[in-house]
Amino acid sequence: MKKHKGELEIDEDIKLESANWKAQRVAWVLMALVVIAALLGFTGNGGIGDLHRLKAGNSTEGLEVECERFLRRGAPSEFKVQLAPSSGDSHTDLQLSKNFYEKLEVDKVVPEPSEVFTHEQGITYRFASVNQPFTVIFYLKPKAMGSVPLHISTAGKKVNITPFIYP
Amino acid sequence: METVIRGLVLYVLLMLIFRVSGKRTLYDATVFDFVLLLIIAETAEQALVGEDQSMTNSFVLIITLLLADITLSLLKQKFNYFGKVLDGVPIILLDDGKVLHDRLKKVRVDEADILESARDPQGLQRLDQIKYAILEKDGKITIIPKEK
Repeated sequence: MKKHKGELEIDEDIKLESANWKAQRVAWVLMALVVIAALLGFTGNGGIGDLHRLKAGNSTEGLEVECERFLRRGAPSEFKVQLAPSSGDSHTDLQLSKNFYEKLEVDKVVPEPSEVFTHEQGITYRFASVNQPFTVIFYLKPKAMGSVPLHISTAGKKVNITPFIYP
Repeated sequence: METVIRGLVLYVLLMLIFRVSGKRTLYDATVFDFVLLLIIAETAEQALVGEDQSMTNSFVLIITLLLADITLSLLKQKFNYFGKVLDGVPIILLDDGKVLHDRLKKVRVDEADILESARDPQGLQRLDQIKYAILEKDGKITIIPKEK
């Protein structure tokens, strides 16, 4: 054991501690950056500005999809789809890629679809038509992590959207 | 498997966060520090257990955390430097009667804290009665009084 001034036995390492103090200051800045990023919406659950919203398609063209850009695994989220009914048909089909039901757990769909079936391309929700544009909200909980590319299509329109799921 | 990964990730993350928060953050806790600690514990619990409230999950988690702790203590024992990096080292704050102000600032301790530690077990009244004040690795300040 080193002796300080020949009397105090202490394992002091001021060089190491100085490095530690520097590392601490850097870490504090990083912690502040995490909070700022969270406020801006980079961790999901709302944010300042429109950064946290992810939109694809256009409601005037018949299909618009909106969800959060950053989701968190296991945290409830919403997936909003604006649809225009297919002309002349008594029902409107909304087709979603396989990722949608494999990587996200759908808790509830409003309005309730009249029929739901899966196929090779994914899953189709069939809604009874009301002859005017309507909105479908999926209440879901992400099960997977990372980027989840989703393809959403109706009879005439197709859009892609890729939210990111945090652990 | 997920429980083990959750446990280990959170263990390392918490260790890093408390390490960079500085030694004095949770030592000598004030009422507010105590509340903060409770909130952190509650938040960490949710991240650790998730939705799986089964006994198996708790059991695996507890064993994982304890094993991580044992492994770390073994590593610290075997590699002395690793232990120093992880736990820090004692720092002299008051050297032979002289207060080292730059160090006090760095470790976020003031003269009042040193005096508090001097009063508590030793019954010292003034700074000039102290020979050495040392900030230990756990955040406690130990006092060595001047010989009369």
